[in-house]
Amino acid sequence: MPEPTVPEPMTDDPIPEPTTETRLAEHAAIDRLAADLLPALVAKLGATGLGEIEVREGPWRVRLRRPADARTQARRGDRPSRGQASHTGHGRAPATIDGSRSARTVAGTSHSGNGSTPAGSEPPAIRQDPHRAVATSPAVGLYRPRPDLPVGSRVRGGDRLGTVDMLGIPQPVVAPVDGILGGSLAESGDAVEYGQELVVIELAGPAER
Amino acid sequence: MFQKILIANRGEIALRILRACRQLGVRSVVAYSEADRDSLPVQLADEAICIGPADAKRSYLSAPALISAAVVTGCDAVHPGYGFLSEDEGFAEVVRAHDLTFIGPPPNVLERFASKEGTRRLLAAHGLPTIPGSDGLLRDDLHALQEADRIGYPVLIKPSAGGGGKGMRMVRSPRELESAIKVCRSEAKAAFGDDSLYLEKWLEDNRHIEVQVAIDRYGHGVHLGERDCSVQRRHQKILEEAPSPALSPAERTELCETAVRAIVAAGYENVGTLEFLVDRDGNPYFIEINCRIQVEHPVSEMLTGIDLVATQIRIAAGEPLGFSQADVELRGHAIELRINAEDPEHDFRPGAGVVERYIAPGGPGIRMDSHLQPGYEVPPFYDSLLGKLIAWGPDRATAIERAKGALDELVIDGLVTNVAIHQALLGSEPFLEGRMTTSLLDRVGSAAFLAAASRA
Repeated sequence: MPEPTVPEPMTDDPIPEPTTETRLAEHAAIDRLAADLLPALVAKLGATGLGEIEVREGPWRVRLRRPADARTQARRGDRPSRGQASHTGHGRAPATIDGSRSARTVAGTSHSGNGSTPAGSEPPAIRQDPHRAVATSPAVGLYRPRPDLPVGSRVRGGDRLGTVDMLGIPQPVVAPVDGILGGSLAESGDAVEYGQELVVIELAGPAER
Repeated sequence: MFQKILIANRGEIALRILRACRQLGVRSVVAYSEADRDSLPVQLADEAICIGPADAKRSYLSAPALISAAVVTGCDAVHPGYGFLSEDEGFAEVVRAHDLTFIGPPPNVLERFASKEGTRRLLAAHGLPTIPGSDGLLRDDLHALQEADRIGYPVLIKPSAGGGGKGMRMVRSPRELESAIKVCRSEAKAAFGDDSLYLEKWLEDNRHIEVQVAIDRYGHGVHLGERDCSVQRRHQKILEEAPSPALSPAERTELCETAVRAIVAAGYENVGTLEFLVDRDGNPYFIEINCRIQVEHPVSEMLTGIDLVATQIRIAAGEPLGFSQADVELRGHAIELRINAEDPEHDFRPGAGVVERYIAPGGPGIRMDSHLQPGYEVPPFYDSLLGKLIAWGPDRATAIERAKGALDELVIDGLVTNVAIHQALLGSEPFLEGRMTTSLLDRVGSAAFLAAASRA
């Protein structure tokens, strides 16, 4: 599937021999798209905060995506940069399948004992540990750790340790400090919530300092 | 019916939706921001998920965060509550694009009623009275004078562009009109770069009366009576009651039946509210529709015994309404007091802080919808509503007495609240005599109400 960075109408299905009438109709359709639909879609894209909007009408399909250069600023993950595979054709099927499995993880890990103790009313133990720090989830979505970073790897503050996929839009999980990659607190594919602790970072010991 | 509903809101309405879900036997997930981690809806939830930081733009107003939360927790519907994204047709559309149901009107219906001006024209065409105005924009002074004569003084001069009161003037005579129109044109030109004006009839001493409707997908619609929301401070409702002391039974029936007929004909679906201004002579004028559950919905629930939030969910799930107008019985009188964290002594400045002590009132006819609990820290990021105290009685006098007694029982220590203004209102002559109009509190001043109460 083509990946236009500017919106353009695409003909997906084979179109029979174009006659003068169909050509005229196409021209009219393009005019209408440019005049009416595009401004409305641009406004919607801005208003919803989504990364991408796709509209289908007959043989026409218009897909609008935010420019990639906004990525550096937006932590909120307003655009799909690489998550195309899971997003194609409203492709949420993988997310949904994963989601129903890992939804229990959310309920189980971060909200066990939810009824009696409010979640998070006590600071997590790891955050109080002077020898450890923890990387947290930047969004609600599905967790994907970087496969090329085994436990014991040296990381620097700001390094990307993985992503959280929010509706196909990857949000970076970032190391908060320099240190050694410790244990993982969530599995790949788990549904995670905003702020959830994902990866332990062992700080350099006093001897090393 | 749905399997699982994401509650995309906070505070008392999140709790209210949670209770409706339990009533229907549907599981739910409370979506919360970091600032609401310890809140009562999160504690009472079947399941809860943190969607973002305190900043509403990145949590309760973030469509991607809310929808992602719904998807990963396996929800098949999203309840938006009120405020935030509850009437955002773009959000409703995106929810649907992810195979989830938006609990409210379907996106195409929300879109049809998105423009206030368009809705007024649509419902006027279906027989609702609207505020009389000039036929289009004013061409020149002569045209303005002719139109004002036709509408009847006083009239309001309004700029076609913009809002916020700029370029707006109320005039009572042709002479005033002639001089004001020049001022308005230059003000509008300066503020909006467009000096086109139009006229609208000025309604003095109006009341705000709204009709609650519920319409299913199959076009069966009922009204649940009206609510009188005339007690307002700077256009914010603070006390609502039903039935309206300003309507006779015949006027009530006429207003409610006209409203439900028009809105069914216009193709509305789900619960909604039609707002009217009612002038001194009892003439109603339709102003706008609210396509969501409203803060003051309990007033109608107390009168009818119908759970409006459950009804909203059932309609969104495609169920028929299941009752007819004849089944809707309006019993007794109900008053709702909005309890806000704001200081009536200091221009209703909103406050935040920790609730040191909280005692909810009770007794016959009393309902307290609130997310407060002792030790709860009211976050400064959201609106100041702490809860709603609703009093029902077989008649208005009993409801007022019960509301007063409940206010005396209510204890919220640690925060400044607006309880004093409610005590003052419930004892004031204009309220007791049913004479409140939307501008009265601002005109007389809340200070005068408070002072009168302390003298009594």
